[in-house]
Amino acid sequence: MNEYDEKWEDRLNALLDGELSDADAEALKSEASDDRQLARAIIEAYQLQQAMDTVHVERAPASLQKRLNAIPREQKAESRSGFTARLFQPRWAMALAAVPLAIIAVNLMQPDTPSTTEIAKARQDLAIAFAYLDRAGSITGREIELKIGQTMADALSGSVNRTFKLQNETSKEKEV
Amino acid sequence: MKHSMMTKLMTGLFCTLLSLPAMAQEDELKDLPGYVDFGDLTSLYGEPKVIINLGGTMLNFVSMMSASESPATSDMISKLKGVRVQIFATDSNTDASKAQFNKVKGNLKSAGWEPIVQINEDDEQVLIYMKMQDGNMEGITVMVIDDEEAVFINIIGQLNPAELGKVMKVLDVDIDLD
Repeated sequence: MNEYDEKWEDRLNALLDGELSDADAEALKSEASDDRQLARAIIEAYQLQQAMDTVHVERAPASLQKRLNAIPREQKAESRSGFTARLFQPRWAMALAAVPLAIIAVNLMQPDTPSTTEIAKARQDLAIAFAYLDRAGSITGREIELKIGQTMADALSGSVNRTFKLQNETSKEKEV
Repeated sequence: MKHSMMTKLMTGLFCTLLSLPAMAQEDELKDLPGYVDFGDLTSLYGEPKVIINLGGTMLNFVSMMSASESPATSDMISKLKGVRVQIFATDSNTDASKAQFNKVKGNLKSAGWEPIVQINEDDEQVLIYMKMQDGNMEGITVMVIDDEEAVFINIIGQLNPAELGKVMKVLDVDIDLD
């Protein structure tokens, strides 16, 4: 295709297809009378069209038509089975199985509002923790009481003994 | 072979995902100054008979739920950032728990915790430590070991022990520890 073909292609095609208005067709033809290359391009285009018109269209045999029609269906089926086969490959199966797990994990990680049951359970856990704290406090209190009680008893008995001893000594001195 | 590997992998992944919330809650508390690492006694005593891990978010919800019953209790719980309890049955084998007790005690001292109560009897050991920072209480740790059990409690946040009795009445949970 020379540069003229490219330049006039659209208009030539329109002319051959009868899509050009009469005025445009006349303008093109008058241009061609001054331009030999354009005139030749128009003649060649007409000749090509005539040659094409003389070619007979042979109908394909029914068996060939059947086979040709079947091609798109087979391709579709093939691509579908290929996708299914690829989908069930181990690595894809794993990836697919991981998706719901990831969703569960994301849900679990989110600081969503806990249910009433969960809060009640937490409340119970807190009470248990406090009960153990209270128990540790009781043990401590008991031990402190025991130690202080013993010390007090020792102090008291020591004091009583000293008093008895002193009284005893005083009475002996009086006797003497 | 390939499939069994995959099954194991998937099971492992699933278990990891399920334990994520507990791990997340524990991780959330680890950075707080009142947190105490009690170590691992599961290899000696098996799984703890009681394990409690309450994070700040859950405690806030408990506090909100208690507000209508007792504002004082709600206020007290709102000051807590975390509550952790681990209780192991010792079955008279207290050597391991005593060793852990002493290890934790050493860690507490070096981390600036202050001893409040310490009882060292043959059949019973009690230790209460408190962590203060800038005049505020950051946590309290209680460890009790006797012939039956080893108790490790870590309260993160502010707690007034004198109010425990009142709070337990409000929580109204019947607990018999004896």
